[in-house]
Amino acid sequence: MVAVTVPRSAAPPAAATRRRRRGGGLSPWLFALPALAVYVVFLVYPAVTSLWFSLTNWDGLSPSYDVVWFDNYVALTKDPVVLQAARNNLVWTAVTLVVPLVLGLLLAIVLNGKVRGKPVLRLIFYTPAVLPLVSIASIWGWLYNPQYGAINVFLRTVGLDGLAQPWLGQDSTALAAVMVPAIWLRTGFPMLLYLAALQGINTEMYEAATVDGATRWQQFWYITMPSLRPAHYIVLALSLIDSFKVFDMIYAMTYGGPGTSTQVMGTWMYANVFQYYQAGYGTAIAVVITVVALAVSIPYVISQTKEQSS
Amino acid sequence: MTSRDISRRLFLGGSASAAALYGLSACTGAGSSGSGGGASAPVSNELRLFTYEDDTTIDLLRATVKKFDAQAGTTTTVDSLPGSGAAVYPDKLRTELLGGKGPDVWRIWGGQIGSPFAKAKQAADLAPYYAKFGWDSTVNANAVAGMTFDGMKAGLPFIAAAMGAWYNKSLFEKAGVSGPPTSYAELEEANDKLVAADITPCGVAGKFGWDIMRLFEYLLETSAGPELHDKLLSGEESWDQPAVVDAFTKFKKWQDRKWIPEGALGLDPSDVEPGYVQGKNAYTITGTWTETQAILESKKPASDFGTFLLPTDHTPARHSGFVEGYMINANSGNRDKAAELLDFIIKPETQKSLQNTSSTVTGAEPDKTKLPLAAKWAEISKTSPFYVVLDQAFPKQQADQYFAVQSDILQGSISPAEAAKKMQGIVSAWVEK
Repeated sequence: MVAVTVPRSAAPPAAATRRRRRGGGLSPWLFALPALAVYVVFLVYPAVTSLWFSLTNWDGLSPSYDVVWFDNYVALTKDPVVLQAARNNLVWTAVTLVVPLVLGLLLAIVLNGKVRGKPVLRLIFYTPAVLPLVSIASIWGWLYNPQYGAINVFLRTVGLDGLAQPWLGQDSTALAAVMVPAIWLRTGFPMLLYLAALQGINTEMYEAATVDGATRWQQFWYITMPSLRPAHYIVLALSLIDSFKVFDMIYAMTYGGPGTSTQVMGTWMYANVFQYYQAGYGTAIAVVITVVALAVSIPYVISQTKEQSS
Repeated sequence: MTSRDISRRLFLGGSASAAALYGLSACTGAGSSGSGGGASAPVSNELRLFTYEDDTTIDLLRATVKKFDAQAGTTTTVDSLPGSGAAVYPDKLRTELLGGKGPDVWRIWGGQIGSPFAKAKQAADLAPYYAKFGWDSTVNANAVAGMTFDGMKAGLPFIAAAMGAWYNKSLFEKAGVSGPPTSYAELEEANDKLVAADITPCGVAGKFGWDIMRLFEYLLETSAGPELHDKLLSGEESWDQPAVVDAFTKFKKWQDRKWIPEGALGLDPSDVEPGYVQGKNAYTITGTWTETQAILESKKPASDFGTFLLPTDHTPARHSGFVEGYMINANSGNRDKAAELLDFIIKPETQKSLQNTSSTVTGAEPDKTKLPLAAKWAEISKTSPFYVVLDQAFPKQQADQYFAVQSDILQGSISPAEAAKKMQGIVSAWVEK
């Protein structure tokens, strides 16, 4: 290796040059400009426009509107459907985050062991994740059919007539009934990521632990889990975002019903903007969703930044 | 710095500036503005028609449009969003219009579904074209009223749909029901006989609210009678009264006695409505389109099925009905050609070739040999007026609030008296607004 030394006799850099070097000068900005332009035009500009519309009473169709300032946000606090939707969002996020994650991890551990037909099993578990969501909604809609659906037919066949329910047709079961296919389709993704991460763990650590007399549980807890930390971050972050922005599954399976029992913030925002001609109010809901999503993702971003800088 | 570096940076900088300018121009680019109605200078010979025809009729419409193109020298694209119903189609249309490149012509329901497009001046005022083509004298005046908003003729109606009961004769026979009921009591009696024969009587579904709504509005007509029913829909009379409580009580009874499918609230209408043809339900409440969409599609003879006006025990005996028509985009550069297309479509011979079973023009009545049941409704409609279907009488938000009440009643979470009070709250808030 050849060391290059700058001769001491060279003139010391001027203050402006130092600043340019510290900030990287203009060049990085020029390189970033095309991407930044796209980002500003397609993300920042619509976001700022939405923020503005949330302060108006625009109906979403007319060329004119009045500025109502924070009236829409005040109305949000009095809207019983918003409260119900927020509650449903919380339940949805908790369940569809934890259950697929745990199931995915369990399946990954099983498939990482000595199981026959691993590729086939992997394919079976991951297939729901690649199916079109509307198809999944239709398939489960038929399965849930109170009269002819496979679930109720099965329950009646095995003598559990009392458990047969109009699953999607009553407030008490509708949300849970939509969560089941959501879990079914979302388990494959964490499974795949965990499986990849598990295959990257050095087997010598397990051998050493076995020699030291560690139990299977201790090995899992002190070797597997810490080694999966980067995978946990990715799975958690992506699942959280996915859960929070739920819309399509609810829209396709129950349309927010019966009544408003399965409304979530996304579907209620959609109803207001696109169906009730209350774009100003609906946009205010969208702003609230965005703010909450940002607040939730900040810890993840900070942790990632710290990890990278360390 | 070498000359190679400079040229690369210049290139990157230049391309970035170009991208930024292009983006900004896209943001600030103004769309063409329309004044609504009146003549327009054609900017091209291209038209786009947006509709919600399904597979059974879309080819007929495309063939019709092709004929028009051949004689008018236009090129018309027909886009369809089938099976979506009034719950989804208007959203898609609205998004297209806001996107700045909406269709030149679109199909839409009348009443409160079409109204926002007229009020927002997205739909052109068709009065000049009504005068030019003489539509006032050829198109059913009641139907035109259904697409006239604040005095502006915003649409050209081509369907005045009538809804009644459509039934499977063999299932009626199997249950010992001799024929169509002529009173509400007879209908209830028929329902009991069907249930006893292990047949679900009335195939309605509530996933989007509007299908099962047809049952409640029929019960409301039966309990309240024509005059009060109309006043309830317009908010002139309070919903918090015995006739409405009675209608909600009957509605709950239909579910409790298993006269509608189990868990109807969660079912999709498109799965349930054809059930009378498939032998799953004895009858359904729908319009004449079911003859082409369900009966003809099944290849079963029309004689296996029948249709009747649901008995209300009132005079006049009314049925549920609604209007559908076409609107022209106020911002279209080809409004004149679009109006010519509508004039071509509304001609009786075209309406016949389109198999429109509920046309608003005389001379386009359904062919008795091909569509005998739809032809029967053409006869019924001559003496039976219609009440406006509930989701065209109310704006979407109020209709959805009604659907929530309907859902609460069927789940037993509120009493009929509470439902009537809730409805009064919903309607009075809308009327005050």
